[in-house]
Amino acid sequence: MSQTKAQLISGTATQDLTVATIDANTANITNRQGRNLIINGNMQVAQRGTSSTEVGYHTVDRFRTQTSSVDENPTQAQFDVNSLTNPYKLGFRKAYKITNGNQTSGAGAGDLLRIVHSIEAQTIDESGWNVLSGTSYVTLSFWVKSSVSQNFYVNLINVHPATNKNYVIETGTLSANTWTKITKTIPGNANLDFSTGVAEGLRLEWNLFRGTDTTGTRPLNAWADLDSADRIPNMDSTWYTTNNATFELTGVQLEVGSTATDFEFIPFADNLRACQRYCYVYNVTTNNFIGNTSLFANSTTAVKGAFFFPVTMRTYPTYSADSFNIRFRAGNSSSNFNANSLTHEMGDDLTSFPRHWGFTVSTSSITGGQAGLLQGQASGQIRFDSEI
Amino acid sequence: MATRYKKYADDPETGAFQCIQRIEDNGVISCIPFAPLNKDYKEYLAWVSEGNTPEEAD
Repeated sequence: MSQTKAQLISGTATQDLTVATIDANTANITNRQGRNLIINGNMQVAQRGTSSTEVGYHTVDRFRTQTSSVDENPTQAQFDVNSLTNPYKLGFRKAYKITNGNQTSGAGAGDLLRIVHSIEAQTIDESGWNVLSGTSYVTLSFWVKSSVSQNFYVNLINVHPATNKNYVIETGTLSANTWTKITKTIPGNANLDFSTGVAEGLRLEWNLFRGTDTTGTRPLNAWADLDSADRIPNMDSTWYTTNNATFELTGVQLEVGSTATDFEFIPFADNLRACQRYCYVYNVTTNNFIGNTSLFANSTTAVKGAFFFPVTMRTYPTYSADSFNIRFRAGNSSSNFNANSLTHEMGDDLTSFPRHWGFTVSTSSITGGQAGLLQGQASGQIRFDSEI
Repeated sequence: MATRYKKYADDPETGAFQCIQRIEDNGVISCIPFAPLNKDYKEYLAWVSEGNTPEEAD
């Protein structure tokens, strides 16, 4: 019988690999699965849509825009990466693209335009990063492209139970219209706290512009209490005052350790499931059943039921729907009713982690006791949102 | 975009709903549960703390 012997190589020394030697030499495995603490960092999933002029979560999952005092909203979009670029050659097909509005009144002191990604506290707390140690690190890497040559600041904010902590890095001056990979290593700090479970623990902010109401002389590359009047150093307004300037972002990875490894690509289905903890979208079309529900006619005027989620959501979600008609399809089907008229009715603890969302809706032409399904009578979208 | 909040009429069987309605100009209506960690509920509470009150139910 043949045997295969494994050996552990450390420096120039070699020894047979046994349980004892594994225990004594903890491997620093840098390509382990699940190392990217960012969800949808390659901008692959966009359940809500692919372009919007609204701020907030409207296109790429887990990434949102925020503004204050802008003259015209930016456009956010999931955008195709050009096949001739380095990110494309490395496997990136989508980017999160911001196209500036026309800021006709210039760069105001209270103006703000940023991209935000929020991470649950428990994700950081249980990542393997010794957050309290100045010699334990996480590494942030991302690809960025700006149509305007400029330096941009990025905040990492520990949303702290007492006082938020702030760490600021910079991209350096980007060459216009050129994809650049940024890599920064961030140490822990004795004042950090990620003990708040599913609440927001770490927020990443790419500042496309901040006016002087919230900027100043904030030092880079050091943790400190967040000062809302001095969140980042005073910044260049060239991008912000350029009508239709663009800013693209992809390949965002945050990982434990002091080395940036290659981006962790995961199958679309896994990425989608990870996103669905925060947002679950159902696109309804005419006559299609909305298959993830269970319903019954509670009376001749009310239907009760529940939506079932593909994964446990972070917290009880908000139900939102476009204005379009659906109906209760049963032996005696209901009159049409608006999808946005469903009302949450759980009757249980709203602090647990839901796999379903119970509801009631008023309608007519039904027979009490019959079971059925929801059926689209037009096209529209329904959404369950438990974003941070 | 202007946002309005409106109460739901009580359920005849179970009484008051544990949620509030958010109405946006674009026709999107949301049902926000009174879940402490729901960000929309937090925004609603902040809106109320600024002295605002939701519209009464129909």
